[in-house]
Amino acid sequence: MANITKKVSWSSRCDEFGAVGEETPLLNGSDQARPLRQVHLDYDNIENQLFLEEERRMSFLAFRCLEISRWVICGLIGFLTGLIACFIDIVVEQLAGIKYKVIKENIVRFTEAGGLSISLILWAVLNSSFVMLGAIMVAFFEPIAAGSGIPQIKCYLNGVKIPRVVRLKTLVIKVCGVICSVVGGLAVGKEGPMIHSGAVVAAGVSQGRSTSLKRDFKIFEYFRRDTEKRDFVSAGAAAGVSAAFGAPVGGVLFSLEEGASFWNQMLTWRIFFASMISTFTLNFFLSVYHNKTGDLSNPGLINFGSFESEAMGYNLYEIPLFMAMGALGGLLGALFNFLNYWLTIFRIRYVHRPCLQVMEAVLVAAVTAAVAFIMIYFSVDCQPLAPDHTEEYPLQLFCADGEYNSMATAFFNTPERSVRSLFHNPRGTYNALTLGLFTLTYFFLACWTYGLSVSAGVFIPSLLIGAAWGRLCGILLASTTSTASTWADPGKYALIGAAAQLGGIVRMTLSLTVIMMEATGNVTYGLPIMLVLMTAKIVGDYFQEGLYDIHIKLQSVPFLHWEAPATSHWLTAREVMSSPVICLNRIEKVGTIVDILSNTSTNHNGFPVVVQPAKLCGLILRSQLIVLLKHKVFVELARSRLTQRKLQLKDFRDAYPRFPPIQSIHVSQDERECMMDLTEFMNPTPYTVPLETSLPRVFKLFRALGLRHLVVVDDENRVNGLVTRKDLARYHLGKHGLEELHLAQT
Amino acid sequence: MFRHRYVLVFLLLAVDIYIFGVSDAVNVTASDSATKPQQDPIYPSPSSSVVNSPVFKPAVDSAFSISLLSSFPDDLEISEYCSELLRLFGQRYVTYVDCLVPSARPVKVCENCSPGYQSLHEVFMNISSDQVGPGNVSCRNTILSSDRLMLVFLLYSNVDLIWKKSNCENCVTGDLKGPKNDTLYYLTLLNQTITCFDKYKQGNLSELCKNCKTAYKNLNDLYSGMEANNTLCIDLEDAMNMTRKLWSKKFHCSFPREETVPVVAVSAFLLFLPIVFYLSSFLHSEQKKRKLIHPQRAKSYSSLMNIQDKKS
Repeated sequence: MANITKKVSWSSRCDEFGAVGEETPLLNGSDQARPLRQVHLDYDNIENQLFLEEERRMSFLAFRCLEISRWVICGLIGFLTGLIACFIDIVVEQLAGIKYKVIKENIVRFTEAGGLSISLILWAVLNSSFVMLGAIMVAFFEPIAAGSGIPQIKCYLNGVKIPRVVRLKTLVIKVCGVICSVVGGLAVGKEGPMIHSGAVVAAGVSQGRSTSLKRDFKIFEYFRRDTEKRDFVSAGAAAGVSAAFGAPVGGVLFSLEEGASFWNQMLTWRIFFASMISTFTLNFFLSVYHNKTGDLSNPGLINFGSFESEAMGYNLYEIPLFMAMGALGGLLGALFNFLNYWLTIFRIRYVHRPCLQVMEAVLVAAVTAAVAFIMIYFSVDCQPLAPDHTEEYPLQLFCADGEYNSMATAFFNTPERSVRSLFHNPRGTYNALTLGLFTLTYFFLACWTYGLSVSAGVFIPSLLIGAAWGRLCGILLASTTSTASTWADPGKYALIGAAAQLGGIVRMTLSLTVIMMEATGNVTYGLPIMLVLMTAKIVGDYFQEGLYDIHIKLQSVPFLHWEAPATSHWLTAREVMSSPVICLNRIEKVGTIVDILSNTSTNHNGFPVVVQPAKLCGLILRSQLIVLLKHKVFVELARSRLTQRKLQLKDFRDAYPRFPPIQSIHVSQDERECMMDLTEFMNPTPYTVPLETSLPRVFKLFRALGLRHLVVVDDENRVNGLVTRKDLARYHLGKHGLEELHLAQT
Repeated sequence: MFRHRYVLVFLLLAVDIYIFGVSDAVNVTASDSATKPQQDPIYPSPSSSVVNSPVFKPAVDSAFSISLLSSFPDDLEISEYCSELLRLFGQRYVTYVDCLVPSARPVKVCENCSPGYQSLHEVFMNISSDQVGPGNVSCRNTILSSDRLMLVFLLYSNVDLIWKKSNCENCVTGDLKGPKNDTLYYLTLLNQTITCFDKYKQGNLSELCKNCKTAYKNLNDLYSGMEANNTLCIDLEDAMNMTRKLWSKKFHCSFPREETVPVVAVSAFLLFLPIVFYLSSFLHSEQKKRKLIHPQRAKSYSSLMNIQDKKS
């Protein structure tokens, strides 16, 4: 009872029996060759002597310039993100238009002549080929571009960098991949990936260079470190949300809710600026595309349209109904997450080879087409089109002339359009059976699709599922009593259902409320949407975590939540810290440093610097040591060559963020005997805590300051241990009190 | 479908109301004594029989006699020219509405009533124009906007709405005198189809489906083309709707759902593939195991002891 329950994450359950003693061989050897390795970010500024010198040299004007260039960068981020959103939107619309046109013509021809199975095959093949293209790109060239990217960005903003997550190549693959998967008719949306794209744009622009293209524009060099970059990445994520939903405030709040632990008023204001610019850019270019140049009032990739008619108002007595729908959304969301969790585990275990992943994606695409076709084929729900209908590809099939298959308005369309139809089509466009079947099939399709190796988001499918069952609720309500038919507008209930389902799956609260509010453009819906999301989250959290958190956990990311687990005050730094610690002397032999850095079994990143006897005097990072070795900053060399240029902060920045591995640095036998003086380069004032500090206190330091290493010292300032993110992320509150998870290596 | 039903209901409603309005207005101008209070008892009256009912008339008469007492001086009254215009407007309004109501079902408003609209429109233009008539008066202000009700304007705007909603401009020539050539061609095709229907509808319906298919298809294609060009009006839409209903619902000539087997077979095959895929990858692909990172702890045993001490 008093013990911490030792618990292992899923993957080890089968290892547990035979492989307990295997830990040492597993840690080195082949494992080191694995390319994916999480790197944690140093958000703490290193105030070494170089930094102080540089700061002293900078004039007042230079600081003003820095401030201005921050604004310029934010503007650029917004602009480029908007452009990307616009590009994705237009290309998807064009390609999907061609695809649906071809299939529709084919279906019309074969409805008359017979041979509809050929249309089915055509549809499946078209879908599969698009998806295959996207999946090949993702699986073979950049696996990190899979999925929506929101979990990865969440991790980045939390302080864990999954390698290659903010590279230009990832952006390109992501954009192409999302186009392929949406055009390929999968149950996905293009909104989630926009957030990732925005973040990549931000990380690229703020550095003023691209390592992938080997171009350095020699600008914004000051921003080449983790602290500054993180601020810009949160601006980029906000710009992405804002472009995706036309919700600038929602974007800012998304960054606040999901990421940035450092938050101040100026940064918020800059992020808001980036978001606004992004929406504006998207609107402007879309207005040019729609031949209405200068009309800036058509925001967002997904536009919910306005909910302003009389019947869209709501009354006090509807609030309990809304909350009941919220609870249903929470339940369904938990079911979705539960199914997806097991599916993802299966995928990680058995479907990990790229060619298998591509095959899986292709199969899902084909099955999606087949299921949709079967649904449409057997649907007997025929409805005439409303006078101001927006369906571009209505299918008639076996309906009477002048009427159209209403299952096809839901399935034979891009998901965004289907969502809009569900929100806005007048009463009687769908019958209850159609909506029920659609919800059921789409629920499983979307659940199956998320986690495939294609880049795609889960926002739109969730909205679509929710809108379908929400509309169903509205129709059922209207049919119960005669008075209900006047206020139970199906479109309104579709909106509430969509909010409930999305809230149940992703469990976002504040930002999602604002995003939905902004996307509908109706502030009066704030209250019901908020209540619905609250209920959905409470109900859903009772069963299962949010989808993004599940995926973060499955990737074994040491993610730090807002608070330390409750009831952990009795744990102290002494129990949490790693020990013994590898320390360096202030003047250390090069050979020792090289050996420590090359030791694959430890692969530590920060080393306390001590003066004998073991008294802490600073902290130095692996990346700094590597730069020092590369530039051969040895005491002996400095003496012999007086003219040698002094190492500057710029040299560290130039190497950022891809520091070369230690293996690529050649150190000769002679040089191994040299000494290295770390005084100038180490951080002379690292954060330290005494041995008896409680876990929540340590946690708070980590979360609030964005620390990466925290040195644990005794009362004589001797290094006793080192707390890292991984040591903290192990603990979480389970059903049986505090549990300790074992993190798996990725 | 929707649109037609809607228009119809609207039309009936509008006509219902305006007939009373018009008869009232005409009476008033004829007796040259415009007073408002007497309109009130008439508005709620549900059917025209009430207007003609002998019981109701005396009341109207008495209202007149009262109102005559409070007649206005001449210079504030409406000029001769304007009252003439108003009379003309009333006449043409009645003619137009008289034409509309019988054409409500099946809809023939464009075919029958376009000239009526044209003449009504002319007189309204005269009323609303800035031009000064004989006697140096413009009727625009006196007739259109000198009171809160603005009856003439309201009447006209409703008729105008009917006209706009019916899209008749797409079917009749520019001067609203006769149908366009497209419309005539369409009507010819429609007549062919209907004749064909009439010819075969007594016998076997499958015969009808076979024999009238060409005619119907031509008509349908023409209609779809016109729909895409936005050159349809309510007459044509309604005619097509009725024809389509006959074709699909009465004669059951829509395409039958008859190739269920191949479609089901192909989809079953596609649905079967993932099962094979997952089974085979479950059985054949080697399971990926994760390596755990074990914490490096100092005195882990003693620390646990520590915890227990603290707890107890």
